[in-house]
Amino acid sequence: MIKKSLLAKISDVLKGVFAGKSVEYISAELRELENIFALVLLGSFIGLPSPPSTISLRLLPYMGRELIVMTRVSERIDDMLGEMAGLFDVS
Amino acid sequence: MSSETPNYIVRFFIGKGGVGKTTTAAAYALKMAMKGFRTYIISLDPAHNLGDVLNTELGDEPKKVYDNLWAIEVDYEDMIKKHLKQLSDKIKDIYGYLKIFNLDKYVDVLRHSPGIEEQASLEKIIEIIRSYGEKNKADVIVFDTPPTGLTLRIMALPTISLIWIDKLMELRLAILERRRAITKITGEEFEIEIGGKKLRVPVDVAEDPIYKELINLKSEYSWINNVLTDPTKTIVALIINPEMLPILEAYRAYQFLTKIGIHTEYIILNKVLIVRSVPEELKPKINEQNKAIEEARRLFENKTFAEIPYLPKEPRGIDDLKDIITYIENIS
Repeated sequence: MIKKSLLAKISDVLKGVFAGKSVEYISAELRELENIFALVLLGSFIGLPSPPSTISLRLLPYMGRELIVMTRVSERIDDMLGEMAGLFDVS
Repeated sequence: MSSETPNYIVRFFIGKGGVGKTTTAAAYALKMAMKGFRTYIISLDPAHNLGDVLNTELGDEPKKVYDNLWAIEVDYEDMIKKHLKQLSDKIKDIYGYLKIFNLDKYVDVLRHSPGIEEQASLEKIIEIIRSYGEKNKADVIVFDTPPTGLTLRIMALPTISLIWIDKLMELRLAILERRRAITKITGEEFEIEIGGKKLRVPVDVAEDPIYKELINLKSEYSWINNVLTDPTKTIVALIINPEMLPILEAYRAYQFLTKIGIHTEYIILNKVLIVRSVPEELKPKINEQNKAIEEARRLFENKTFAEIPYLPKEPRGIDDLKDIITYIENIS
């Protein structure tokens, strides 16, 4: 009984570690996808080609989260390579 | 053709500047009107001369110029203004507080955005097809277009927009999929903090307003794209003069239109010199012309051709146009 409970505890810890790591990976990927989505739609602000204006304007009202993500990423753009290296354990 | 369900056809007359698009389009519209079809002819060319050809003053509202025939010269300024108004209304909805500072007037600068003319022209084409074709007020809608370059950009706009929309939908699905994965692993709702408040972020397609708006956009652009690419509805007539340059340009336009799925069926050779006994000075010109016609027939092998001779008098008004109808009998 004691053995089982110990195994269960170890399994929970491992699950937690793996879950934490995968959330970290997926979150980084999600953040980049949201950043790309905002950049593709509103890139004309920084001189990137963008879709016909009607499309950008129609989606703009719902872009709160993506705009925040884009701003955060742009603030830390110089550090992004370091963050990626950390994420994939590259030293 | 005046049944309850809309059963209209759309014809675009396209060609290089000065080849005679307006005259040919007007003669075709008159022909269809004389056959009893309720016909609307619309000039989309910013440098209008449809009114000159019909010998009457035209404006943004349809004017009856003959039995069953109405003509419109689209007011470009007004069209861009209307388009901008729609855009600026949307911006003002989002940034309503700008009114307080009277800053909304700066939205006007949008009129100088690249591509605004194409977008506004497309909106106008949609408006006309919806108001006259879909509401069963017209059997035939004839568009006299601006010179080739601008027209092709207008006609490509639905296809280009649909490519963008599809790519954005793909990207959106990837985003939602990852959001769902995170909520599944953590067992917690997906939230974002804006201004100190925690807001729930959509994770499913059905609740994502961006995906829903993309679906709306897709259905709007698909509608006009379907109208433009349906050969039973929309057909392009290319107008050329019997000279190499307009023919080569028309061929490139034809290839482009084919690529975006718009059907070209008619090739109208306008201003063909027909001289019974050719004077010595004109012989080289006639030879050139014959070579050009031969090339046109080779390039557009399976298309329907019509030839309009170089007329001694510039056609002005309905009576002059009636004389041209005999040359375009096979254009329907």
